[in-house]
Amino acid sequence: MKLKHIEVFSKDEIQEIHSASIQLLTDVGMKIDAQDARNLLKENGAEVDTESKFVKFPEALIQEKLKKVPDHFKLHGPDGHFNFEINTKDTVFATIGTPVKIYDPLQKKGIRKTLFSDTIQQIKIVDSLENILCSHIDVWPNDISYITIHVHCIYQWAKNTKKPYGLGCLGKLASTDMMKMTSMIVGGEEELIKRPRLVGFMNPTSPLHLPLIMTNGFAVFTKYKQPTIIAPEALAGSSAPVTLAGLLTQTNAEILGSIVLSQIYNSGAPVFYGTVSHITDMRTGNSAMGSPEMGLITAGIAQLARYYNIPSRGPGGGTDSKVLDMQNGIERLQTLMLAAQAGVNYITCAGTYEATLVEALELLVIDDELAGMVQRAVEGINVNEDTIGLDVIKKVTTSEKKGVNFLAERHTRDHMKSELYFPKLLDRSRRTTWYKKGAKDIITRAREKVDQILQAHKPNELPEDLDSKLLNFIKNVESRTFDDYKKAEGLRVSKITLPDGIEIKEDDK
Amino acid sequence: MSIEDEMRQFVEEWDKEGLKAMCKSLIDKGEASPEELLKFIGNIMKFIGEQFENEEIFLPDLIGAADTVKDTIDEILDPAIRKSGGKKETLGKVIIGTVESDVHSIGKDLVGSFLFANGFEVFNLGVEVTADEFISKAEEVGAQVIGLSSLLTMSMDFQRQVIEELINRGLRDKYIVIVGGAPTSEDWAEQIGADGWADDAIEAVELINNLITK
Repeated sequence: MKLKHIEVFSKDEIQEIHSASIQLLTDVGMKIDAQDARNLLKENGAEVDTESKFVKFPEALIQEKLKKVPDHFKLHGPDGHFNFEINTKDTVFATIGTPVKIYDPLQKKGIRKTLFSDTIQQIKIVDSLENILCSHIDVWPNDISYITIHVHCIYQWAKNTKKPYGLGCLGKLASTDMMKMTSMIVGGEEELIKRPRLVGFMNPTSPLHLPLIMTNGFAVFTKYKQPTIIAPEALAGSSAPVTLAGLLTQTNAEILGSIVLSQIYNSGAPVFYGTVSHITDMRTGNSAMGSPEMGLITAGIAQLARYYNIPSRGPGGGTDSKVLDMQNGIERLQTLMLAAQAGVNYITCAGTYEATLVEALELLVIDDELAGMVQRAVEGINVNEDTIGLDVIKKVTTSEKKGVNFLAERHTRDHMKSELYFPKLLDRSRRTTWYKKGAKDIITRAREKVDQILQAHKPNELPEDLDSKLLNFIKNVESRTFDDYKKAEGLRVSKITLPDGIEIKEDDK
Repeated sequence: MSIEDEMRQFVEEWDKEGLKAMCKSLIDKGEASPEELLKFIGNIMKFIGEQFENEEIFLPDLIGAADTVKDTIDEILDPAIRKSGGKKETLGKVIIGTVESDVHSIGKDLVGSFLFANGFEVFNLGVEVTADEFISKAEEVGAQVIGLSSLLTMSMDFQRQVIEELINRGLRDKYIVIVGGAPTSEDWAEQIGADGWADDAIEAVELINNLITK
């Protein structure tokens, strides 16, 4: 049988958490910045306080909308051939993390700023991996304008992979661009809605807050029925109670509130019940992603997701290490294994370290190997007459032939590939062979694999007219100003700082 | 489909009886000589060996294939060659076995399969083989190499005893003696006066190739 899921709650405890979350949503509600979202919720019976922007959710509304959420859906690559199912039983591995720096051993500090060329390389590598099935806009391209990143990335996605892609719900305008552009690539909006290509991530801000821009983007993604990952990043002890039960109660409310909104936007829109929550380190105030508590939180989220019968998403392979060292290895396997054992259906963050702030393409291919190993572990032991193999045991042990073993038995040949995981990067050779092959450690071997993949990778052939249409689309987006974005999102702040350090002052015209 | 291709299918399917029947019928009808068929088998094993090296296939595939062709060689081709007064060409004859007081067999068998797959004639004497058994067989078949396996620190010393026995009988220079097994090492081989040591089956083939052509 398959490995039993780790459960962190008893039946009563999960009920207790659920009731407490419902109480939070009915008594306190969530602060929702987007006015149109508040209006829609009001139309559906929610109680809205216009001044504080808090929306209280009636329990009946929550229950009704939870019933509409699909328990499985498919994700497709650009041309629709490659696809996989997300459901509440299986585990799929993917990236995500938004690292802004990348491993570079030639630099003094061992890292440098990520560039668009890194973003493209990451897409190509994921395309070639066996166990990592989806890439997201992970590696942040610091060298291109913030307001055009989404279109440049989608163009490179269409050109360089057969797998689906993920982006943030980066506001109304950018998300609409994503849908329009992807529709062009896949042959129309109808096709995109029918067979989703994009995953959107939507992070409620803890505690209990849906920020404006993300919610605007969330509306667009759900309208096009592209699956969204609803994943608060609450930190125990700073943006949530230090108690893990408290954090899970609070984030459960954040996720349920967001799910209700998604189903109001578009009934039946697919969502992931997700998390990136972890803890605050009580010595430094830093977040600690490689902590064992993160594994417990992720396990709790997976169990809650099963309770609601919604596919779950959680991080695995998280580490706080700043280098490719033992800590990096210990923490990444621990969090990955825990996530898989907990039954998380979509495990993310492959290829990242330093709390997902830094990418290493070497780690990406190592994580593909780890994912294969972990996948094998959770499959457990398959028991039937054939796998018990009484006949072959009898045959080998009673054979009169000199030097008989199981290696040359048909039973071995027939079952080896389903029973054993065949590692590609882990070295199992004897010392002499290992020396002869250059005495390389796993990072060196991983680098070689990265180089091989990049060298062999063949881009997709885009029809010429499509290519020029896409390039034209990008050109139009490039001609926009920040004001266009602000207007589209209804921004009313005096100053915002974008991730690339650019400050925007509200001119309040 | 060529004869070789057809034979390769039997080998890849581990169809011992099929391969034997095919070779027998070809020889009986005079459609192919046993020497020719042996050459095809050499080609097939070389092809399978390359697939293994490229990690396209795995250990059971390789050993199963070697196991399959061995029966055909032993039961059909060898007797036919002998009957016609011909001489079988191999890269060399190698005696292998696990030394006295040690019953570990798999590593040594792997070495045997790899040597066989690479064109050597292998005499696998099994486990708990005494010094006399090693030497007598080597003398009997005219071997070039004696390979001594030991998996236990406690049985390692019997490797030395085989070499001492060869010296006692005045036969030491006649044979290349190689040793292997998890507790052994290059230093150990040197210490007991062996001619070589290998870490695994793949290394062993290379080692013997080098020693024989020296």
